[in-house]
Amino acid sequence: MQFEVIAKCHTTRARVCRMKLAHGVTMLPTFMPVATQAAIKGLTPQQVESLGITLILNNTYHLNLRPGIKVLDEAGGAHNFQGWNRNLLTDSGGFQLVSLSKFTDITEDGALFASPFNGEPTMLTPEESISIQHSIGADIIMQLDDVVSSLTVGPRVGEAMHRSVRWLDRCIEQHEKSGRKDKQNLFAIVQGGLDPALRDLCLDAMIERKDQVAGYAIGGLSGGEEKDVFWKIIKQCADRLPSDRPRYSMGVGFAEDLLVCVALGVDMADCVFPTRTARFGVALTFKGPLNLKLGKHTKSMEPIDKNCPCPTCASGMSRAVLHHIVTIETAGAHALTVHNLVFQAQVMGGARDAILEARFPEYLRSFFFDYFGDAGYPEWCVNALRSVGVDLMQGVDLPLVQGSGVKWEYSDAA
Amino acid sequence: MAQAQLEGAQRVGSRFPKFTFILDQGKQFGPRVGRLCLTRPSNCLPNHVIDIRTPNFLIGTSRGVVPHFSRDHVHSANGISWINVSFESFLEQTPPVPTYQAGSQPLHNFLGFDSSKHIVSLSLRDPLDAREMPPNGNSHVSALCMRGVRKVTPADWRSYVLTMQPDIAFALSDTPFTAAPHSQKRLTKSIERSAAWLADLLRPLENTDDSPTESTPTLNVFVHMAGGTSTSARRAFSHSLTETLHGLEANAVKPLRCLDEGVAGYSFDLAALHVRPAPLSTHHDRGGGIEIAENSLSLQNSESLAQTPTPNTAGTPTSLSSSMIEPLSFLSLAPTLDELLRASLDPLPVAKPRLVTDVRSPHEILRLIRDIGVDVFDAGWAVKAADIGVALDFIFPVPSEHDNSPDHRKRDIGHNLYDAKYAHDFVSLTDAFLAGHNRTSSSKTPVCPCAACSPVSSTSPIQHSKVDVQSHQAHSDDGTNREQFLPPFTRAYLHHLLHTHEMSAHTLLVAHNVAVLDALLTGVRTIISGHADQNEAAAIFAREVTRFEEVYDGTMSVLHTARDNWKDVKYARENKDARSVHSTEVQ
Repeated sequence: MQFEVIAKCHTTRARVCRMKLAHGVTMLPTFMPVATQAAIKGLTPQQVESLGITLILNNTYHLNLRPGIKVLDEAGGAHNFQGWNRNLLTDSGGFQLVSLSKFTDITEDGALFASPFNGEPTMLTPEESISIQHSIGADIIMQLDDVVSSLTVGPRVGEAMHRSVRWLDRCIEQHEKSGRKDKQNLFAIVQGGLDPALRDLCLDAMIERKDQVAGYAIGGLSGGEEKDVFWKIIKQCADRLPSDRPRYSMGVGFAEDLLVCVALGVDMADCVFPTRTARFGVALTFKGPLNLKLGKHTKSMEPIDKNCPCPTCASGMSRAVLHHIVTIETAGAHALTVHNLVFQAQVMGGARDAILEARFPEYLRSFFFDYFGDAGYPEWCVNALRSVGVDLMQGVDLPLVQGSGVKWEYSDAA
Repeated sequence: MAQAQLEGAQRVGSRFPKFTFILDQGKQFGPRVGRLCLTRPSNCLPNHVIDIRTPNFLIGTSRGVVPHFSRDHVHSANGISWINVSFESFLEQTPPVPTYQAGSQPLHNFLGFDSSKHIVSLSLRDPLDAREMPPNGNSHVSALCMRGVRKVTPADWRSYVLTMQPDIAFALSDTPFTAAPHSQKRLTKSIERSAAWLADLLRPLENTDDSPTESTPTLNVFVHMAGGTSTSARRAFSHSLTETLHGLEANAVKPLRCLDEGVAGYSFDLAALHVRPAPLSTHHDRGGGIEIAENSLSLQNSESLAQTPTPNTAGTPTSLSSSMIEPLSFLSLAPTLDELLRASLDPLPVAKPRLVTDVRSPHEILRLIRDIGVDVFDAGWAVKAADIGVALDFIFPVPSEHDNSPDHRKRDIGHNLYDAKYAHDFVSLTDAFLAGHNRTSSSKTPVCPCAACSPVSSTSPIQHSKVDVQSHQAHSDDGTNREQFLPPFTRAYLHHLLHTHEMSAHTLLVAHNVAVLDALLTGVRTIISGHADQNEAAAIFAREVTRFEEVYDGTMSVLHTARDNWKDVKYARENKDARSVHSTEVQ
């Protein structure tokens, strides 16, 4: 990996970086769409590439089950298998073990789980996770971590953090001896739950191993914790992580979360949200999400966003047509999926330009005004951005919204 | 060369393009080649002529979209020049939402079709839907939308057509979708209503005082050939199109002397002939995108039609036109599809295009070209094959090296990619065609140009910031020649996508299957037009059809197996979902 910081925001911790991997250059900060089972839902890799997307994510847990390592080896890796010539990142499979299987038992050796095929006990060790990821061949691979829900409290959180450090060492060892370090880059995952002291201990240990890791992820968040806790942990980690390594915030996908994370110094994020919400009929826009299932869109001849460069909006596809097909025709999902992926990329591309042109604070202010101007600002966003020197409330007279403040169109009453 | 210039004098303004069919070669019955030519008013577009060589195909839509395709796929797909929109799904709103689309070519623009590339036709009903419906009335057709059954009058239909300005409109037809058998009285009613509703669509526009000129483009109307499974009813319907009109009837369609003068083409919707109407209880849901009618694909060829129920002879002739129908009890055997189509076409001019919907195999297409001279087929069966995970793999004419396999089994017309044998199969979807990436100058094997076999890199990805140029610059410098085809998607990958319920599988398969169908019809045209002597051309074509039937399995057994596998995977998922709602797809 060649990693270079090419611009820094004069006020916040935001930065623009150039990350060169075996499958090309990805400019950061960026959002990574998720191709769980080796396909972005409903699209072809050529379509995804045409949207200006240069880095996507595959899930190790899923690919290990299907098509399986043998097929991936025969295909020459996941890039060849799915026809994706750009950069690829795989997670370690740890998160799915915990979220998908009720019977996972974590031991020091690894994660013991019941195979979803035959119910037989199956062990996923750090070494195995890395060697599966070697078969997949992603440009960025993740350590196996001991994942606990972000709402977990008590000694289990500390145990998981310490174990994640020990497992990192085993992942490093497995990766070092693989001879694949020139093509694949191992990222560590900072754990420690919502406890700043545990996070600090984890950061100490993982920063110590900096020479063996290409980048750092911030894990164990986006699991339903208070947003005011979320951003503080992100800030704590991003402040301490070395500036010459990319920082990846796992499971973050709402536009406001992305921009707060970028302002706090995060370079990469992933989430299934934009593609999943598309299948439920929701289009993301700079004025907030549009639920195209709602009756108010029945006769609207407007595109989702006339300024959007995505193929759906550029073709003039009206909200009325989308209302007619979303959640019924696969083509409705395709149309919204390309739009939402372009929206995410536009939010992040806009941030890159703004940082380069030394106007990132203004970009934040105008984004939040467009997005939340009708309802009020989520208080946590205001707090988070104040911590890096941007006051969203300056010159605006808007209410503060408690809680997550997520904007949503729920019903026809909206 | 015969030419049908469809110059009705009906004045509907200059909004409608001129549609002509030129029969290059061929006669009343037998293989023929021709050209469909659509000329848009010259003030419309710089590129205003669309030329389609026949035999060719059209692709139907579901809720206004080509199944599984995003708009960019519709534009880049090979061979898609004629798209049919069934209007009934839009009846969910009153007035139907597409009628709000302003400006020229509202139907094209509402649905995102390219008026320089796509002929877009409009029918009320989905011609592939033969499920049982409430009866039509003297002045309405029962149509189906998600909110239930809607009654559509000829006046409604005329107004929808005039508002939406399709390139071609299908006149309403009284096809009974009630439980068979149908009485002779019902058949009589059917052909009378169908003729009356055609006449209604052919009426000149009101409030047009200025006299029509020779060059005024008219509404292009296709008529469904009514008459069900009775050859005499079919003959009677065709006669009613060609007989000179008198009195009020003549006045209504003036200056047309007979209805056929205003007809641009004949269509045969086989769905109602193929199967006994199925009860409405199984409503179409394309929710997963891959719902197919239970009874579709069950009858594979025209011979099977012999088993379709024969109408009873209940009722006696009551009107002038019905007296022309011979009592059906005199028929000892149900007529074949060939006989039905010939009965309809016999009394009609030779040089108008003939469209058949709901064909179900390449074999049926080839036979209809050989025995009848059908010019356009719908691609519904190829799309349905994609729905159930089948990648078509056949070629016409059959190359000499395609001899029967050693065990004398016929070749399947495609691959059921659900089959475990494809899990490790890293070749492109067809044996009959090369992938663009693997083409060589020495090979005679043609290339399949579809998005699955010959993918191409995007030439100009969207740039989201000024520095993005570094991503794209650096990548194309890496020796990736952007003009070249990328490696094809493999059977192993499609097998994986099908078993993981990924929608991308169906997108790639529709692209591929449509390209294989396009190649079939291109092959047909090459054979027929390759011989100046018509009889020789017909004989050579017939030989090639026989060879195709010898090499490829006409029972389409691969589709049956695929549908069973598709169901297994679908139900396995539904059961799993029932157990744990949140189990699928987490971050």
